Amino acid sequence: MSILEVRDLKKIYTSRFGTQKVEALRRVTFSVERGEYVAVMGESGSGKTTLLNLLAALDKPTAGTVYLDGIDLARLPEKDVAAFRRDQLGFVFQEFNLLDTFTVEDNIYLPLVLAGRPHGEMAARLEPLARELGISELLKKYPYEISGGQKQRAAVARALITEPKLLLADEPTGALDSRSTDELLSLFAEVNRRGQTIVMVTHSVKAASRASRVLFIRDGEVYHQLYRGGDTNEQLYQKISDTLTVLATGGDVA
Amino acid sequence: MKTGFYLRLAIDGMRKNRRLYLPYLLTCAGMVMVFYILTGLAYSPLMDSIRGGMTMKVILLLGTIVIAVFSLLFLFYTNSFLIRRRNREFGLYNILGMNKGDISRILLWETLLTALFALVVGLACGMLLSKLAELFLLHMADEKASYALHVEPKGLLAAVVFFGAIFAVLLVVSLARVRLSKPLDLLKSEAAGEKPPKANWVFAVAGAIILGAAYYLAVTIRQPLTALAVFFIAVIMVIVATYLLFIAGSVALCKLLQKNRGYYYKAAHFVSVSSMAFRMKRNGAGLASICILATMVLVMLSSSGCLYFGGENAMRGIYPYELAISADSASPEDCTETLREWLLAVSREAAQGSESDLQIYTKLETGGMFRDGELEMERFYEDRSASELENVRTVYILPLSDYERLSGRSAALGADEALVWSSGKAYEGDTFAVKGCRKLRVAGTLSELPFRSEEYRSVTTSYAVFVPNWEEVASEIAECADSGQTGRGLATVTTVCGFDLPGLDGEEQIEIENRLIDIVEADMIDGTIPTEVASVSYKSRADGRSDFFSVYGSLFFIGIALSVVFIAAAALIIYYKQLSEGYEDQSRFDIMQKVGMTKREIRSTVNSQVRTVFFAPLILAGVHLAFAFPFVQKIIRLFGVNNLPLLIITSCLCFLVFAVFYVIVYRGTARTYYSIVSAVGERRAV
Repeated sequence: MSILEVRDLKKIYTSRFGTQKVEALRRVTFSVERGEYVAVMGESGSGKTTLLNLLAALDKPTAGTVYLDGIDLARLPEKDVAAFRRDQLGFVFQEFNLLDTFTVEDNIYLPLVLAGRPHGEMAARLEPLARELGISELLKKYPYEISGGQKQRAAVARALITEPKLLLADEPTGALDSRSTDELLSLFAEVNRRGQTIVMVTHSVKAASRASRVLFIRDGEVYHQLYRGGDTNEQLYQKISDTLTVLATGGDVA
Repeated sequence: MKTGFYLRLAIDGMRKNRRLYLPYLLTCAGMVMVFYILTGLAYSPLMDSIRGGMTMKVILLLGTIVIAVFSLLFLFYTNSFLIRRRNREFGLYNILGMNKGDISRILLWETLLTALFALVVGLACGMLLSKLAELFLLHMADEKASYALHVEPKGLLAAVVFFGAIFAVLLVVSLARVRLSKPLDLLKSEAAGEKPPKANWVFAVAGAIILGAAYYLAVTIRQPLTALAVFFIAVIMVIVATYLLFIAGSVALCKLLQKNRGYYYKAAHFVSVSSMAFRMKRNGAGLASICILATMVLVMLSSSGCLYFGGENAMRGIYPYELAISADSASPEDCTETLREWLLAVSREAAQGSESDLQIYTKLETGGMFRDGELEMERFYEDRSASELENVRTVYILPLSDYERLSGRSAALGADEALVWSSGKAYEGDTFAVKGCRKLRVAGTLSELPFRSEEYRSVTTSYAVFVPNWEEVASEIAECADSGQTGRGLATVTTVCGFDLPGLDGEEQIEIENRLIDIVEADMIDGTIPTEVASVSYKSRADGRSDFFSVYGSLFFIGIALSVVFIAAAALIIYYKQLSEGYEDQSRFDIMQKVGMTKREIRSTVNSQVRTVFFAPLILAGVHLAFAFPFVQKIIRLFGVNNLPLLIITSCLCFLVFAVFYVIVYRGTARTYYSIVSAVGERRAV
């Protein structure tokens, strides 16, 4: 059964006085199976971020539906949206979005604290997670004291500590150097291998080549998709590159 | 053309930052205004023409000095805040190819514009409002006023020179700051300083201890005169402690709360406590300043208000009769009927029938240390400890015949028997003795004096002792006093003749006083004054009142003027605090929303944080005021106002008025804060 179902999703932005309309998403339909690792690719302006905002219930679609584990996000009452986001979704952002007033540890605890969990349970969850992510030594530090790669791992820990149904990543490697990028991608692969469903928006071919499936979005529509099948990372990387070349030259993909 | 370019950049910069600049400009103008009003009034020719004008002038000039020092400090503070906020913009100009000379030119124009605005608007408002202030001051000083508008050139000149100098210094400071900085630092300077706060336990504990000690000092002060120095030490300690507590103590408290996991890891406390630690690190000094300013305003207003409103009562204490003439005699034997007849005659001649409630009595006045029913006559109390000063008494020895005549009651006392009245708690003990002199048996105590007494000496307790054989007792005490080692003239013999002048206003009463003085002087010249009179003194309540109100009226006036300035300063500090925090919190709240905090949760977190930060200074100021209360009460009693309920009422009223004002400022600035914080959310929705 699919954990995420997106049907005929449409989003139109209207300027303040309604004079101009921008169609960010025209008609997006796809689904994500439990345990899948999906990368969404597209050029800037193709609607990637809009899609992610809709998946995260940060925004409401103009038309169409998003079902997460059978729940229609658009029908969720406003007051429950934040709690839903907190409990069911995990976020990793390009710019980390750690709070500078918290230590790394407290940043990771944030969603659990908001959910009202007791401290003992939070500590019990954090301990193995921190070990796995290699940030056990950093827990007492403040974000400004650690490197970008370390910050992103802390952000991943914050996203995973709630044991979310879906991990949403928005350009997670965008602000990282190549070594940190490799580390983070290995981490994602490892997390996915243990059953975590991941949807990652990216325009990095390298990042996308680690996914089990790649969706291409152009002009607000799902234009094409690639399945890994039995391909290695390198083979998938090549296929993605080829697809992007075709997309860029305006041709059709067979 | 080039000049015009920099001017335009300067105007542009200020307009774009109007959220920062407008309050700054208004504050500058306000300070110029108050400065001009005070100096203008002080140098006004009016001061030479009204009674007590010299005292008023001195008080106004003292107020001017306070305003001047405060303006200097405060404008430095706000200017450095403004420059810090604008460094980013200057950094950008620098990177875009402007050199530091160009930036300096922009700064020069900005300072010139600010100074021009402040002086023109400030002086214009000052001229308009000075008349109002003058009328207000004269009303409070109980003087009549004219309604002609008057511009005081000395005040104008003083304001222009003083504030011109301040702005020049501010410009130099800003220029030095820009010159010393590197462009990249300029760009980054706003984001710098995000190190996590460290709890400085030494400072925090020191703050608490110093505050406790200061409170202890303030509360245990008994004699206001000798302890004035102690109180000043206490004030300085309170100021130091307030800064320590707000800067170090608050962070330490947050850290302590963070250590308590059960408390800290709750949705309601988690975000608040951790960001509070950061907030206090940056704003501790500002909050402490607000707290100190608030305390100053409260103490100043409540004490000067109490003096002013309690003045009328105090006047009755100091001047029990509307007009009184007293004749000192060399010895008790000189207090003859002739002397009394003469006093009555001159009083009646001067009052011309308008006198009423005329009373005449004779007293011997002395004082000293009183222990176990025995008075040791002594004059100098200065080097005494506080507990010994408790034993100081003023003692009046009076003829029983005066008591009987004035009260209409008869009392049969034997020789060496006495009736005793006490200004404090009722006299205990069976005897009253003057050491090495005479011992009297106390036949009874009186709850009331038959004549009006001077109550202003209530700092010490006084006794009135009525004896049947006054001349004999008084002579003996006077002799003892003269032969004592503590100096001559310790006991004075006075006959007081006092009366009211109903239906006459202050000026008419002063006229009668002058007539009385003329009559007595004429008698002195032609020799008809009785030989028993050694010296004559006069006390007119109307005269005293105009002196009193010229002092306390102008004190209260200064109190109000300074309060207005301090409150405006506090409001500006608060506003800037909210503004800078709003910008800093913008991104923070954006993140929290993404992590799963509802708008309402964010709002309530913000509310509780802002409120705590905001009302902590007010509450601490209230506590400071409460602990200063005993001292203020004693100081005010020293000035002749002994009215505890009135002081309580004025203090509470001042606190309430201040709190209401504070809440208004809070509401206004909180709105600015919300509009900044929520700006991010709106941007994303588009």
